Amino acid sequence: MTNDPDLLIIDRILAGEQSAYADLVDKYKSYAYTIALKIIINRGEAEEAAQDAFIKAYHHLSSFHRESKFSTWLYRIVFNTAISYKRKNRQQFQSIDNIIEYGAPDAEGRSEITDKKKYLQLALARLNEADRTALTLFYLEEFSLEEIAEITGMLANTAKVRIHRARQRLADELKIMLKSEALTL
Amino acid sequence: MKKISQAQQNEFSRYLDGLMTPAEQLEFESILAEDKLLKARFDELRFVQQSLLGLRPEQPSRNFTSRVMQRLNEYPAKSSGLSMRSGIFLLIGVLLAVGIGSVLISAGVFDSATTTLGLPHYAVIERLMKRSTPGIPFNGKLVVNIIILLNLGLAWLVLDKAILKPLFQRRMEAGE
Repeated sequence: MTNDPDLLIIDRILAGEQSAYADLVDKYKSYAYTIALKIIINRGEAEEAAQDAFIKAYHHLSSFHRESKFSTWLYRIVFNTAISYKRKNRQQFQSIDNIIEYGAPDAEGRSEITDKKKYLQLALARLNEADRTALTLFYLEEFSLEEIAEITGMLANTAKVRIHRARQRLADELKIMLKSEALTL
Repeated sequence: MKKISQAQQNEFSRYLDGLMTPAEQLEFESILAEDKLLKARFDELRFVQQSLLGLRPEQPSRNFTSRVMQRLNEYPAKSSGLSMRSGIFLLIGVLLAVGIGSVLISAGVFDSATTTLGLPHYAVIERLMKRSTPGIPFNGKLVVNIIILLNLGLAWLVLDKAILKPLFQRRMEAGE
């Protein structure tokens, strides 16, 4: 007998209670959306990719073998869906309104841009998608390296090295950005 | 100018991730106190670490859950392997090939392209059949016509799967 509330919900869904799936969507939607957003960068497409991932997960729920946490399994689907979205839409036009607001420098908002968080988001956007996702997973929900490896389809050691290197690259990007910002002031 | 080695960068990560023993930490801190370059790099990494620890999840739109629940029975989720842009390019290419083929046919370029393709002669087979191996008639005009027809079929498929279907799907979603 399991006490994992997710597994109890999954049992209800598999027994035919489709509406119970809304509980799982509500519980994991923000992290699923955040992962998709870190990969795709575009808010509208990230939301669509996250929704598609939830739909795929629902239809493959019977193939979830319960060897890992439901969230790990779900986030792997989100990761793969977002990656294929990005590949498919790489060439497509992106509406400026939909692109994540990382605080493009302008004369009026310059004081706001000095905010550390905005710089961090800008620097994160400059990293490649794998680095960005690994860092996000590591810091956002404090996933273990094994879980990050499972979600992103790499070895745990590779994930560890990737996180270390991504942190260094992020520091380099921040340094470059802060330097150029200082020059424009 | 002195550069920071990868081994030193790894030490920074071990310190920041709390993987050093107290003795190692003390030693590391004393090295930092003596080396300004290392200290500056360490401060950059510590700033990144602290900023990353402050990351918060993004929130999707309010109707996220209801939209997922509405779309649960619509499966497989939109999965045309061809993007609309690639579809348009492919369609233009196919129509161009059809146009060129039609122009060449109407100009009579393939009218004289009729011949007989000879098969290799095998003495054993010819002895058994008691006659020489027959040739296969080849009509260039017919072959090009078949290619044009196949291209038209492909153009129709591309138009339907990669352009019209996604277009109507988007309109339906926009109207919801």
